[in-house]
Amino acid sequence: MPAEETLTLDKRLALVSFSKDAEPFIVVDTEKCNQCETKPCLYICPAEVYTWKEQLNYNTEGCMETGACLIVCHKIGAGAINWKYPSGGKGITFKLG
Amino acid sequence: MSLEGFEVAIVGAGPAGSAAALTLARERVQVLLVERGTFPGSKNVFGGRIYSYALKKLLGDSWKEAPIERFVRKEGITFMTSDNAFSVEFESKDPEGSFTAKRAKFDKWLAEQAEKSGASLITDSRVDDLIIDHGRVKGIVAGQDKIPTDAVIACDGTTTGLARRAGLTTMLEPSQISIGVKDVIELPSEKIEERLGLDPGQGAAHVFLGACSGGLRGGGFLYTNQDSLALGMVVGGDDVSTQKAQSYGFIDKLREHPKVQRFIKGGKTIEYDAHMIPEAGPKMLSRPYTDGMVVAGDAAGHLLNNGYTFRGVDMAIQAGVAAAQTVLEARKKKDYSANSLKAFERKLHEDLALKDMYTFHRVPAYLRNRRLYTTYPELVCAAAEAIYRVDGSGKKKISKELRLQTKGRVSIFTLIRDLIGGARTF
Repeated sequence: MPAEETLTLDKRLALVSFSKDAEPFIVVDTEKCNQCETKPCLYICPAEVYTWKEQLNYNTEGCMETGACLIVCHKIGAGAINWKYPSGGKGITFKLG
Repeated sequence: MSLEGFEVAIVGAGPAGSAAALTLARERVQVLLVERGTFPGSKNVFGGRIYSYALKKLLGDSWKEAPIERFVRKEGITFMTSDNAFSVEFESKDPEGSFTAKRAKFDKWLAEQAEKSGASLITDSRVDDLIIDHGRVKGIVAGQDKIPTDAVIACDGTTTGLARRAGLTTMLEPSQISIGVKDVIELPSEKIEERLGLDPGQGAAHVFLGACSGGLRGGGFLYTNQDSLALGMVVGGDDVSTQKAQSYGFIDKLREHPKVQRFIKGGKTIEYDAHMIPEAGPKMLSRPYTDGMVVAGDAAGHLLNNGYTFRGVDMAIQAGVAAAQTVLEARKKKDYSANSLKAFERKLHEDLALKDMYTFHRVPAYLRNRRLYTTYPELVCAAAEAIYRVDGSGKKKISKELRLQTKGRVSIFTLIRDLIGGARTF
């Protein structure tokens, strides 16, 4: 048996394939985030699409398309996230699921 | 493919959508099934198990041709602290009642059955909008294509975009959703059978409650595929957000537990999955129909988590069939108005399987009690420790030991109230 694997989120995300969508399907009004006290998007996202470094940063490419960020942002956060599914055939593909 | 001449458009080729498409196509209805992924199932994630009855009812004997991983022989639940585990197991004499599966294979296969019956499937196509004319749904809009139809069946999943567009719900509350993440861990089938105590080909399902969710509403699960384990965690959307806990962090906590370690040791993680689960049940929509449209599956809260069984795919299939039958009746009357389609709601309440959603309607509220994820798993483990420990310091009778273990953890009053509440809920 091989040694125990150490998994990080990056290693996990490398296990699923993403097809980049030329159209930006997540758009965040980051000005609003500066006023946001709770920043729930940083915690709910299973792919850490949202990170904070002096301001809100987001990386559309790792999005697993749960849609949970939209809900928590508008209900607990600053209502800054504009989210929809990526274009047909784009985004994540699960081989097992 | 020409996108004209379709009577019904179904959005989303998951279990609800494909079951609806199949049911309509059998009656020679011109039906278009639209999927945004590159193939049906490519966007879909679940825990790991499907209850067979719905598939049997839909397909008759050929249900066994489904891509089944293992029939579930063994059910288990573990209450855990960070290093203790109290487990209960049940072995069913009829394992064919449910099976484990992979959605990328299962959903693809089910959509193929719909196609064989005459449904038209298009993939790589995102439905952006509904055609709405004087408040009536008259078709769908996918990119450049406007596709007019007599009726639309929305099976577009938890994000429920089309129901929101039609005004059947506003945005869900964080307390009405959970986030599930899952590692699929490759392991030789003999190892799986050895570790889970299974005969060749048989499967197990296991639930974990306690320390793994760090005090938050949630729990872990384990399902056996043929050559892999599906190990995951589900945590409440509101808890994660307000407690500032990373939703994906809990699965590592689960993996580290000695009980789980022994199952997964030496395995290789081959996929990471995530999914948003609606937890409010069918009341997440004000109603699952409007003029020209019905909503089924996750998009309408047609699923059931009652704390010990997790049912999504079977409910989705049943609801998809009920939606299709509603549309068939409307077609006969040539009346797709809300008044005609409201028969769907009655069907949902009368369906023997779906009515479980209403029987257990109090469960989501009950499951919000944090003691279920902290105090009680701890109590069970501490009581077992005390009952089984023999160290020569003198033993108390079990009833006295149990009373003692509740001290400082929970008052007898609260305990009894939770028990009675549970008895009324389940």
